[in-house]
Amino acid sequence: MEVLWAAAHEGRGALTAREVQEALADRELATTTVLTVLGRLERKQLVVRTRDGRAHHYRATASREDHVAELMNDALDGAPDRGAALARFLGSIPDEERRKLRDLLD
Amino acid sequence: MALAALGLLLLGVLLAEPVSRAFSRARWTHRDPVGALLVWQAIGLAGGLSLVGSGVVYGLSPLGDSLPTAVGTLFVEWNEGHWPDRFDAVHLIALLVALGVGGRLVWVLSTMYLRTVRARRRHRDLLDVLATPWPDSPGTRVLDHPQPVAYCLPGRSSRLVVSAGVLEALSPEEVWAVLAHEKSHLRERHDLVVLPFVAWGATAPFVRGMVCAQIAVAELIEMRADDVAACRSEPHELVGALKTVGGSAPAAALSSFTDALDARIERITAHPCPLPWYSRAAVRLGALALVAVPTLLLLV
Repeated sequence: MEVLWAAAHEGRGALTAREVQEALADRELATTTVLTVLGRLERKQLVVRTRDGRAHHYRATASREDHVAELMNDALDGAPDRGAALARFLGSIPDEERRKLRDLLD
Repeated sequence: MALAALGLLLLGVLLAEPVSRAFSRARWTHRDPVGALLVWQAIGLAGGLSLVGSGVVYGLSPLGDSLPTAVGTLFVEWNEGHWPDRFDAVHLIALLVALGVGGRLVWVLSTMYLRTVRARRRHRDLLDVLATPWPDSPGTRVLDHPQPVAYCLPGRSSRLVVSAGVLEALSPEEVWAVLAHEKSHLRERHDLVVLPFVAWGATAPFVRGMVCAQIAVAELIEMRADDVAACRSEPHELVGALKTVGGSAPAAALSSFTDALDARIERITAHPCPLPWYSRAAVRLGALALVAVPTLLLLV
């Protein structure tokens, strides 16, 4: 994941599995291992795969910061449908109050 | 049987509105959160049984003296291939309304549960990639963000999360207090305790009593988790953590949020003495009796 994020950051875009493997050369991973991990990340919608001729290219769906922001949003927002998903240390905020909060923040 | 139906309807309406409202204002619940949570579960279960049961009992009353015999008669006549002719429109409508309400409740509860599970899975996938394990406490992960938040992701594969902001702002003892609070949510599956009330609130948001119930239950699980955390660490550490994290939360601009926070801090510092054992026993027996009444009315 770090390799793909770094690639996006440097503007290189999508990488093939082989390029990912080379970037992780110091860990001596087998090609199948890299492919398995990439497949798993794809299923979790963290990575998208595009086909370019015979090669498969992998790219991160969002930057690390975007994902952290998504997590923080979940953690701070007490929306009822997410309300049951997490248990916050500070409890959640009732509906009408949350609207007021949004107004305050915007 | 019509009398039993009337009794059930009355009980259901009483539980859903005045009883829920009055109970959410009771103060003794702060001295026995576990007992109060049991009573809430009993109110929810008994209320649902009564409201749905009253329609079913009334609808089937022409077919027998009690619900079991009436259901038996219905199936026997159905198997013989004809519709019981003692059924008139009023009874049929009552039956359909009751089944509709019951079905809606089950539907809301299951879709809500599925949505929750899906949201949790997504959140957990992201966490596992983004958050780093915290070496000081196994099973805890650190999310690299300056805003102090601490929460847990309940479920079979649960996660405890603190942000880098929390580790920055709190002393190690205070972090332990926060973790003890969250672990109690996970261990006692507070997410499942709240779920039925969220479903009731979503099924009938126009009934004020249901909304009161939802808020009261949410407060009680926090009290329970605070009690556990105060037991496993020093109460003043928990208070310090609440003040620091609460003071920097974006919601601190809301008066209701700070009021709720102050109430929690005051409860931990003052530590109201728990109810005596006989009162606690009475509360638990009361909860049991509450469920037993509609069950008996349905069966006899």
